[in-house]
Amino acid sequence: MRVLLKIFEKISPIFEEGGKLAAIKPLYEAIENFCFAPSAKARCAPFSRDPLDIKRYMTMVIIGLLPCVVASLYFFGLRVIPMIIVSYMTGGTVEVVFSIIRKEPIAEGFLVTGLIFPLILPPATPLWMVALGCAFGVFVGKEVFGGTGRNLFNPAIVGRCFLVLAYPAVMSSSWVKPGHGITGRLLEYVSSANIEAITSATPLVEAKHGLEDMSHMFMGLDISGCLGETSALMILCGGIFLLLTKVANWRTVVSILGSAVIFEAILHRVNPEQFAPGMWHLFAGGLMFGAFFMATDPVSSPSTNEGKWMYGILIGVIVILIRNFSGYVEGMMFAILLGNIAAPIIDEMVFSVRLRLLKNE
Amino acid sequence: MNSFGYEIWLAMVTCFAAVFTQNILLTTFLGMCPFTSVSREVKTAAGLGGAVVFVMTCTTAINYWAYKLLIYLDLEFFRFILFIIIIAAFVQFVEMVIDRYSPKLYQSLGIFLPLITVNCAILGASLFMVIREYHFIQTIGYGFGAGLGWMLAILAMAGIRTRLNESRVPEGLRGPGITLIIAGLMALAFIGFTGVLS
Repeated sequence: MRVLLKIFEKISPIFEEGGKLAAIKPLYEAIENFCFAPSAKARCAPFSRDPLDIKRYMTMVIIGLLPCVVASLYFFGLRVIPMIIVSYMTGGTVEVVFSIIRKEPIAEGFLVTGLIFPLILPPATPLWMVALGCAFGVFVGKEVFGGTGRNLFNPAIVGRCFLVLAYPAVMSSSWVKPGHGITGRLLEYVSSANIEAITSATPLVEAKHGLEDMSHMFMGLDISGCLGETSALMILCGGIFLLLTKVANWRTVVSILGSAVIFEAILHRVNPEQFAPGMWHLFAGGLMFGAFFMATDPVSSPSTNEGKWMYGILIGVIVILIRNFSGYVEGMMFAILLGNIAAPIIDEMVFSVRLRLLKNE
Repeated sequence: MNSFGYEIWLAMVTCFAAVFTQNILLTTFLGMCPFTSVSREVKTAAGLGGAVVFVMTCTTAINYWAYKLLIYLDLEFFRFILFIIIIAAFVQFVEMVIDRYSPKLYQSLGIFLPLITVNCAILGASLFMVIREYHFIQTIGYGFGAGLGWMLAILAMAGIRTRLNESRVPEGLRGPGITLIIAGLMALAFIGFTGVLS
């Protein structure tokens, strides 16, 4: 460790202003921060002693995502690892290039996007598509708006929407039959070569022929789907951790899941033949994953508490609308994107109502 | 009575579809010029949106009968010119009426009413009404829904742009550039509604 520290001390002047490699200072800083605590000290007020900075925040989310990563490794095999690496590499490149151009330190926000993005893709997505989608999401969804903390839309969702619309055929046929037994597919690398593995429809697709057993869907056993979304149990483990640490806001989660289940239950009551029960939809597809990990993104969701309720209900209702009535079987990503679009105006409305109430007092 | 009820139901479905599935701004990209230029503040966007809802509902209803007249005279090819004239005349007429009876509303609407005359979404709604062969009640539902969809889109955009003031968009993209990118992402989200009630 000490050797490493000495190396850093030795090379740091090169990256200071006037040095040879001053242009890529952000990259140096990021690596140094990754290895050690940052050596820079705050020089002037205000000083904040809160330990919860962006870095901690993002670390919490990554810890919350770990159960889903483990589950996806078990169900879909070793191919998950290269997908995550490719996503980190391409997205990270875009991030580094932008921070070099802007001459600022690299923000940690990307660590989460890079991990979430592969988790919401079908397991057999070609690696070049992972790269393309991640680069598009980070570039158009985040960097164009000014980088971490200033993005209006969830970058991972933007990237996935782009892939679904640009390559609909690949995205709707890249499902893999999940592994079972003690090791699952842990020792397997599923590629487009072994075709028999790659023709398994998700529960939402199969809903037209018959419903999957709900307890299976809760555990994620034998359920096909995107990498991270199949096991509700694992999502709950990570999600509840996020709720307890208050990284994710419970209002958003409760209002999304609640409104979706209630709306679907009403539809089911009206016509049980055509619509599945409410609880079934809760465990199907990306509803839970999206509600816990993506819609709760503090930047792209409303900042007021009342706004969070409205935002959640909006997303929940739209998911059920799209799933049952539109040409798409899964509506979570469209719903979250629509929620992101509506978030600023919802905040604006809440503010104006509050102002009016204050005036009346 | 029963068929009348069915007509009303059909009109409501058409209205809903016009707001979400066939949002005139985000799926056909009509009315982009006021959308990019007047979406800087929520208040003005709401004013313009309200005016569009009103004018669109009324002009599609009037144009419905005007088109019936053209069919009777065997002059369908004339519809573009006639629709434009009707829209312009109607907007002028409304402006005069509002100016006479409610100067306050006139002040708050300001430049928006005359602006609407050249809004292609208004003409587009009338033409869609002809192409899709709507009945009269359905036409009213469609006109109202298309206007409402346009209003929702510009309100969302105005909200986004007020928040955008705090972010550091690259210099070359400020203004219309970033607005068009956001509009593209909004359209991306609205594709999810494809097939709902159509």
